[in-house]
Amino acid sequence: MIKHFFTSMYRNIERDKMFTFINLTNLTIGFTTFILLGMVVSYEFNYDKSNKNFDRIYRVQTKQEDSYPTNYCTFSPAAIRYHLMADVPEVEKALIMREISAGQGSGQFFTLPSGAQLFEKYGYFTENAIFDIFTINIKEGNTTNALVEPSTIALSETLQQKLFPEGGAVGKQVVIGKRYPLTVTAVYADFPINSTMRPTYLVSISTYETLAERKGFRDDWTSIDNDNYVLLKKGTDPRLVDSKIKDAFKNVKNFEKSTPYLYPLSKHHLSPNGQSDTLVGLGILSLAGFLVLILSCVNFVNLSLANSTRRASEIGIKKVVGFPKKAIAAQFLTETVVVTIIAMIIGLFAAQAASPLMAQILEKNIEYRVFENGQLLLIVLFTGLLAGLLSGLYPAIVLSSYNPVKVLKGKLFVGTGKSLNLKKVLTATQFSISLFMLIVSFILYNHVNFILNKDLGFDNKNIIYSEVKVQDSIDFETIRQKLLQHPEIVDASFSSTIPFQGNIGGYVTWEGAAQDQREMISRNYVNYDFIPTYNLKMMAGRNFSKDYPSDNKSCIINETALKVFGWTDPIGKTITLFGTPYPVIGVVKDFHPYSVHNPIPSYVMFLGKEELTGSKLLTVRFTPGNEQKAQELVTRELEAFVPNDPFEFKDFKVIFYLDSAISFWQSLKRLFFMFSVVTLVVSSIGLFGLILFTTKRRTKEIGVRKVLGSSVFSIYRQLSYEVFAMLGGAILVACPAAILIYKTMPGAYKEPLSSLVFLVGIALIAIIAQMTISYHVIKIAVSNPVKALRYE
Amino acid sequence: MIHLTNIDKYYDSKFQRTFVLKAVNLEVKEGEFLSIMRPSGSGKSTLLNIIGLLDEPSTGEYSLYDKSVLNLKEKAKVDYHRNFMGFIFQAYHLIEEMTVYENIETPLIYKGVKSHDRKAMVADLLDRFNMVAKKDLFPTQLSGGQQQLVGIARAIIGKPKLLLADEPTGNLQSVQGEMIMETLQELNKEGMTIIQVTHNEKFAEYGKRIIRLEDGIIRKDLINQIAHVPMIN
Repeated sequence: MIKHFFTSMYRNIERDKMFTFINLTNLTIGFTTFILLGMVVSYEFNYDKSNKNFDRIYRVQTKQEDSYPTNYCTFSPAAIRYHLMADVPEVEKALIMREISAGQGSGQFFTLPSGAQLFEKYGYFTENAIFDIFTINIKEGNTTNALVEPSTIALSETLQQKLFPEGGAVGKQVVIGKRYPLTVTAVYADFPINSTMRPTYLVSISTYETLAERKGFRDDWTSIDNDNYVLLKKGTDPRLVDSKIKDAFKNVKNFEKSTPYLYPLSKHHLSPNGQSDTLVGLGILSLAGFLVLILSCVNFVNLSLANSTRRASEIGIKKVVGFPKKAIAAQFLTETVVVTIIAMIIGLFAAQAASPLMAQILEKNIEYRVFENGQLLLIVLFTGLLAGLLSGLYPAIVLSSYNPVKVLKGKLFVGTGKSLNLKKVLTATQFSISLFMLIVSFILYNHVNFILNKDLGFDNKNIIYSEVKVQDSIDFETIRQKLLQHPEIVDASFSSTIPFQGNIGGYVTWEGAAQDQREMISRNYVNYDFIPTYNLKMMAGRNFSKDYPSDNKSCIINETALKVFGWTDPIGKTITLFGTPYPVIGVVKDFHPYSVHNPIPSYVMFLGKEELTGSKLLTVRFTPGNEQKAQELVTRELEAFVPNDPFEFKDFKVIFYLDSAISFWQSLKRLFFMFSVVTLVVSSIGLFGLILFTTKRRTKEIGVRKVLGSSVFSIYRQLSYEVFAMLGGAILVACPAAILIYKTMPGAYKEPLSSLVFLVGIALIAIIAQMTISYHVIKIAVSNPVKALRYE
Repeated sequence: MIHLTNIDKYYDSKFQRTFVLKAVNLEVKEGEFLSIMRPSGSGKSTLLNIIGLLDEPSTGEYSLYDKSVLNLKEKAKVDYHRNFMGFIFQAYHLIEEMTVYENIETPLIYKGVKSHDRKAMVADLLDRFNMVAKKDLFPTQLSGGQQQLVGIARAIIGKPKLLLADEPTGNLQSVQGEMIMETLQELNKEGMTIIQVTHNEKFAEYGKRIIRLEDGIIRKDLINQIAHVPMIN
C-alpha cells in the first residue's frame, strides 16, 4: 500500500512537472529563508553557551536610581569583588575584570618583534579565577597561578602568533605601551566568536595595582568601573543573592541610591544593559522567517486545491472501489509531507550555501554551520513536519470528502462555493504577509536613514581623533600652533571624552534644586578649542575664553541640562559638583554625545588645563578631501612631542558607523529588505500559480465567451475585481500590524511614520497583482477559442 | 437481492420540489442482468448511484439481502464497495498516472490482498481480456474500448456480486460497444448480477430485463423472453 502511495505520488509529480516545479520552488524558498533566519537567531541565542558554567555565571551590575532615566551600569566597584562577594555564602567564586586602556577606549600597544607597535583591543586586568569560572582552553602554560604575580600576562593564541610566531611564548617577555615588560605565563585558545567577552590577553590585576599605584583599590566603593563576575553555587536562586547584596551601598556617601544586582550571562548578549534592541531585532527576524514559511505553505495549499480537479477521478475511483476516506486523506497528507521534507532538505543545503552571504549582510565574521547545529536541525525538522501536516491537512480533508458521484461527473467545484472562499482567504493572507513585510522593510529603511542622517548637533565630517596617553606634560597650545601651520588643518582640540567615545558621569546639584535633588550628568573636560572644533552651536552665553581667567572654575551646559535644571536665565547660575560650585557661562545646543539610539543626557563641560597629560582624546579638523594628508601630518607632528607614547589617529566616521545601534539597524534593514524581496517572489509565485489554474479551469468558459463575442476586457475586469477585493482585506490586516512593529522598535528617536511607506507598499503589491493578471489574460486573448473549446 | 421500495429522490429549491425519482419500486434477483433505459436526465444515474450506495434516497426503503442499507456508516459503505459491488463508468475513470496493471490492482490494495496474490489475480484478468501485452501502458495509450475493458477488469477483480455500469458504452463506437456488452453478458452468465444504465436500445437488449425510466418513474418493466441474438443488420 505504501508502495502504491509512492507510485501514485511519483507519477503525479512526473506528469505535471510545471506544477511540481512551482510548488517545490515555492516551498524551497520558504524553507531556505526560514532556515537562514533560524541560523542567525539560533546563533545569537547560543552566545556564551560554550561555557560549562553558563547558567551560574552572573555579572554584578549597578543600578543607579538617582539618575534619570534609571541607569543600569554594567560595572561595579572593586570593593564588591573583594568585600561584598566574599561574604555571600552562595557565591562559589568571584572575579574582577578591568578593561585595559591606553586612553578612554580599550586596548594597548604591544611591541612586535620588528619593533613596530601593534594595537590590540580587548585586554583585561583580571585574576586566576577567570580560568575556573569561564571555560578557557589552555594551550600552553598552566592556570594554577598564571595571573597571580604582578607583571604576568596570558595571551590568546592569535596574539601569541603575532608576538611569538616561532612559538614557545611562556616565560618570555612582552612590552606593552612601549614601557611595561610583562612575563607570559600562559597561552589560551581564542574565545569562541559567539562570546560576549573575547579577551585577547589577560594581565594580572596585581599588575594594575602596582603600576597604577592603587593601594586602596580593593576597598574602593566609588569607582564604578570594573566588570565583576560571580559563579553561584549550584541550585542557587540569584534573587536570593540579590536580596543579600542590595544594601551594599547604603553607607557609601553619594551612592545611597545605587544597588548592586546580578545580571545573568544568558542576557549579556541579547539584552546588554537591559537594552532590548537585539531581542526586538531577532524577534522581528524570527517573525519574518515564520511569515515567509507560512506564506509558502499558504501557496502550497492554494496550489494543491487549485490543482485538485486533476486528481478528481483518482479520488472518485478510489472511493468507489472501497478506499476508506482516511486512506485517501493519508495519501494526500503523505504526499504533502514528502514534498515538504524534500523542500526542507534542499532548503538546508541552500541555506548552508547562502550562509556566507548572510554573514556578509550582518557584517559578522561568522561561519554558520547548519548541519552541526543539532538544535536548529531539530527545530527545522519539527517545523517542516508541522508545515507539511498543516498545509496537507486541509487539502487532504477537502479532497477526501469529495462526493464521488459529483467528482466522477466532473462537477467538482460547481456549487461548492466554500472551498473557493477559503482560497480567497488564503490569497488575502498572502497579500497581507507580503504587504506587511514590504511595509516593515520600508519602515526599517526609513529608520536607518533617519539615524544615519539625523542632525547630530555637531559636524562629524572631516575629523580625525586619537587617544593619547602622555606621561609628561606638554603645553597644548604649542602643539596646536604647530598643527595650524599646515593649511590642511583647520582646528585642533583635546578633551577627556569625545562624542560616541567615552563617558564620565557624576552627580550635580544646582541652584534652585530641591533639598535632596541630584542629577546624573555626563561631564567632559575640554579645552578652549573643543566647541569650535566640533562646530557645536552656542544657544546662550559664550565659549571658554582665555580672556576670562576665572573660566577654569566655570562650566558650559547643554540644552537638556538647562531643561532639567529649569532655569530661564542660565548665565551666572551655579551647579555644584563634588562640593565645588561652578557658574554657568554658556549653553550649547543639544548634540549627541552617544549613540543616536539613546536620549541626549544632561551634559556639562568644564575647562581642563591647557596641557596634554595623562589620558586625553585629541581631535583634529581638516579641510575636506585631505584626510590622508592630515592623518600623516598630525602623526608626524605629534610623534615629535611624544616619542615614547604610542598613539594612532582614526577617522571619526569609523566610530560613528561602528556605533552598535547604527550597525545593528543597518544589518536588520539589509536583511529585511532581502527577505521582503523573497516574500514578493514567493507571493508572485503563488499568485501566478493560482491565476494560472483559475484560468485553466475557465479556459472553456472563456472560449465560449470569445466565440460569443465577449471582450477580453470583461474577463480581465472580473479577475482584477476578485484580486483587488482580496488586496483590500490584506491592507486592513497588514497596515496595523506594521504600525505595531514600528511601535515596538526601540530607540529614543524615531522618524514619525509616513503614509508614503504604506502607499508605496500597497502600490507595489497592486502592480505585481496587475501584472500577473494581465499576463494570463493576454495569453488567453491571443489564444484560439477553438482550441480552448476542444479542451478535455 | 435488491429491494427498493417507494424510493423518492428530490431536490428542494426555494419554491418547488424537483423530483428526480418518484415512487420507484424495484426488485433485482441474484444473477439478473438489468438494463435501465431512457434519455439522460431521467434519473437513471441517480438510481444507479442509490443502488451503489453513492447517493441516498430522499425517502423510501432500500435493502440488500433483506438488510436495510440506508443511513449506513461510512465504514460499512466502504465495506460494501470493497467486497460486494463493482462500478463501470461511461468515462472509464481510469487513474491516468497509473499503468493498466496498477489500475486493475487498485481495488485489491485496500482489501488486504497480498502482493503476491494480487499479481496472480491481475495476471488472470489481463489474460482473460487479452491485454497482457498492454499491462505497462498508461490509459491514454489505449483505445476507448480497451480503456473500458480495463475499467471492467478493475470493477470485477474483487469478485463482486453486483456490477453497476453507468453507460458503459456511451463513449464507444458500436463495434467496441458490442465487445464490452458481450463481456458483460459473459460475466452475467458466470453468475454476476449486473445493472447497467444506457440510452442505447440495442445495448439495453443485452440485458435479461429492461426497465424504462421516464421523469423518475418506472414506466415499463419487461423481461426479455428471448435470449439475445446479436443483430447484424
